[in-house]
Amino acid sequence: MRTGSPSSNGSQSEEGSSSSDHQQPQQVAQEQEQQLHTPTHAHAVVPAATSEEILAEYGSSLKLLECNSQVAELLTILRDKNTTRSDFKFYADRLIRLVIEESLNQLPYTHCDVETPTGAIYEGLKYRSGNCGVSIIRSGEAMEQGLRDCCRSIRIGKILVESDANTHEARVVYARFPDDIGSRQVLLMYPIMSTGNTVLQAVNVLREHGVPESCIILSNLFCTPMAARTVVNAFPKLKILTSELHPVAPNHFGQKYFDCI
Amino acid sequence: MSSITFLCSKSAHNNNNNINCSNNDVPKGSKANSAFAAASAGLLTIATHQKQQLHQQPHQQQQQQQQQHHQQSKVKAIAAKTNGHIDDRSDVTEQLYVDPYADLGNGLAGDLNCCPASPTTVPAKASLESPLKRSGRRQRTTSIGNQTTTANPSECIIRANNRTIYTAGRPPWYNCAGQQVEPFVIGICGGSASGKTTVAEKIIESLDVPWVTLLSMDCFYKILNEKQHEQALINEYNFDHPDAFDIELLLDVLTKLKEGRKVEVPVYNFVTHGRESQTKTMYGANVIIFEGILTFHSPEVLKLLDMKIFVDTDPDIRLARRLKRDISQRGRDLKGVLKQYLNMVKPSYCNYIAPTMAHADIIVPRGGDNKVAIHLIVQHVHTQLQLRGFKLRETLANSYKDQPMPHSLHLLHPTPQIKGLHTFIRCRNTSRDEFIFYSKRLIRLVIEYALSLFPFKITTVETPQGVLYEGKRMESRKICGVSILRAGETMEQAVCDVCKDIRIGKILIQTNLKTGEPELYYLRLPKDIKDYKVILMDATVATGAAAMMAIRVLLDHDVPEENIILASLLMAEIGVHSIAYAFPKVKIVTSALDPEINSKFYVIPGIGNFGDRYFGTEPSDEY
Repeated sequence: MRTGSPSSNGSQSEEGSSSSDHQQPQQVAQEQEQQLHTPTHAHAVVPAATSEEILAEYGSSLKLLECNSQVAELLTILRDKNTTRSDFKFYADRLIRLVIEESLNQLPYTHCDVETPTGAIYEGLKYRSGNCGVSIIRSGEAMEQGLRDCCRSIRIGKILVESDANTHEARVVYARFPDDIGSRQVLLMYPIMSTGNTVLQAVNVLREHGVPESCIILSNLFCTPMAARTVVNAFPKLKILTSELHPVAPNHFGQKYFDCI
Repeated sequence: MSSITFLCSKSAHNNNNNINCSNNDVPKGSKANSAFAAASAGLLTIATHQKQQLHQQPHQQQQQQQQQHHQQSKVKAIAAKTNGHIDDRSDVTEQLYVDPYADLGNGLAGDLNCCPASPTTVPAKASLESPLKRSGRRQRTTSIGNQTTTANPSECIIRANNRTIYTAGRPPWYNCAGQQVEPFVIGICGGSASGKTTVAEKIIESLDVPWVTLLSMDCFYKILNEKQHEQALINEYNFDHPDAFDIELLLDVLTKLKEGRKVEVPVYNFVTHGRESQTKTMYGANVIIFEGILTFHSPEVLKLLDMKIFVDTDPDIRLARRLKRDISQRGRDLKGVLKQYLNMVKPSYCNYIAPTMAHADIIVPRGGDNKVAIHLIVQHVHTQLQLRGFKLRETLANSYKDQPMPHSLHLLHPTPQIKGLHTFIRCRNTSRDEFIFYSKRLIRLVIEYALSLFPFKITTVETPQGVLYEGKRMESRKICGVSILRAGETMEQAVCDVCKDIRIGKILIQTNLKTGEPELYYLRLPKDIKDYKVILMDATVATGAAAMMAIRVLLDHDVPEENIILASLLMAEIGVHSIAYAFPKVKIVTSALDPEINSKFYVIPGIGNFGDRYFGTEPSDEY
């Protein structure tokens, strides 16, 4: 689903914004668990959500990378447990590049006419400078290279979020940003969302540093419906871009990408 | 005349003033260069074996003398071995071919062999080779008279750093709908030493058609067994008899050439009387000239000839030429020559060659001196070529206005990023550093999109999480990239970045600044390319003429049309229409579509010359 107009950022449905932040995630989590268990036992194929379903359920703040056959192949390779580590990294990098390119489409721009070498005028557009990337350690760092390949000298901040082994509560233990992050568009990078808690904490930190919710774009590869609901409800103005919404998150991503536990 | 090409081992130039040897190291005026103007591809191997024989010819060109000097002794030895009829054939190659690096040229035969498009058809090839190879390969001499290229030497040859560079490639051999146009095939028949090659070269010279292929019947001699080999050594094997030729092979080669397909022409070795393990690869041309003593013998071959010329020279003159040639140039005795002539050459002429005169459309008495006859022939060929419509680019530029865009066009979604990238690379003030960076980003997106158009199949995989996952995989992993040089080369990196270990082929097509037509210069494709899905890459497509030529090349290599994706950063609508009309099954992928092209075939508003901007070779003022 591509709207092509990043200015539609704030116009998403308001349905989630007024709902209580505490109850819904829990309900969702319960539903999620049921969904998780059924397919595992049956060994059946679990289908991913389509972009139409997503638009109906989450509004326009959650966007899905256009799933052409090529993207589907990349997802398949990343999901396949028999994929070698070298292939995994290669294809993950390709997918990341596509997601980053698509995320950049959400940035604001202005019109700009330029003269071509033939002397004719091309009606183009121009992006504002002053964007920055923020990666959530560790798996988010896998996406930094993809961002660098698109924006050579972009500033990149980092956030370390740790979850407590017992309570599953996420907690920010480290954050380092450019000083003027509050006046920038922020591309938040985190490839796998299964509960959404980590991202919630990261966005909170960014807001504490003065970044408005509407200036944050979340780049994500794999998202579960539960995480999507959690984040959309908590931050309705946040723009989320993902390549797949699927009940089972490939949690092996960071391990396999970095080949390290 | 630009790149006349030859596959012949033989020259009818038996008189010494037509020796076209010259040393590449010392290009001396256009006359010397004319020797290289046309390519002698056939029997280069022989040339390497026997090139020394050269020295027996009068040393007309001073440059050669130094080199020749130290080889004199070898020469005599070889000359002694190769007597009889053999000499007729072999010495000619020497006339055609001179290797100034005689001592270095050992690898030459193998080098030639690995060239998919023979030097015959792709004259610029050698300019891309290493200097050493070039020096060996550069030598493309023919038996064409000096006057051929002195007519307009500046048009077809550029000289730089002691090198001769070809400036003309292969022009279109298909019409504006991309369909093959049959080449015009001229058959030339006549007795031995009747002047067939002289007539052929005069026709080529007067035709002024850039792409002519000369095929000699001598390539199709049969492989001799031991007994026949011995006979040949004592002048008793009849090389003038129809049975000495492999007519079936000849027919096959000529048929394919006429269809514009790639052919493997055998290289006959007159020393071993066998075929070299290597063959010469040739492509069809606009005009194919097929010459030989028994050209009209086979009825099947006759059917392939569009025009049949018989060169009728008085037998006394032919014998006189033969005597002069064999005795003065080859050191043979009068007795031996006469024996061969009376026992085999003359009877064969009467029995097999003279009767075929009845098939001829035109009989040319007195051979190459008959200017009126040649003029008539040339006029006819010109009319025929015009009827076949080889003029392409202008036709393309002026058709298909205001038509809806074809279904085979796949335009990337015009997202803000893509537009923003276009803004960068289209702006005339963008520095090269930025130009390269942003065009690379755009190219990556184009290639990723192009890949998604290949056929996929649904598969189910197991995940580490224990659930099954239904996804897609590409049906075939056999994908290869083919770039249209120079600008298309910029897209190779992106293809390599998205497909692991992908094979990359290259096609060099350049626009002839004089005619505005694209010309094919160079070609390297994976051997089994017909089994591959091909991503054909060119940075910009204006009229589509170059892209069409590249697609045509792929089709000629048996790649199915539906297996080709043409990927490009920017296309003009006209180009898309032309390509889609000519090749409806070829998928066309581009990131932007511009409405117009200007009189110089640049896209408007366009990017300018993409290759020049990317590689930093912009001329000071071009537009």
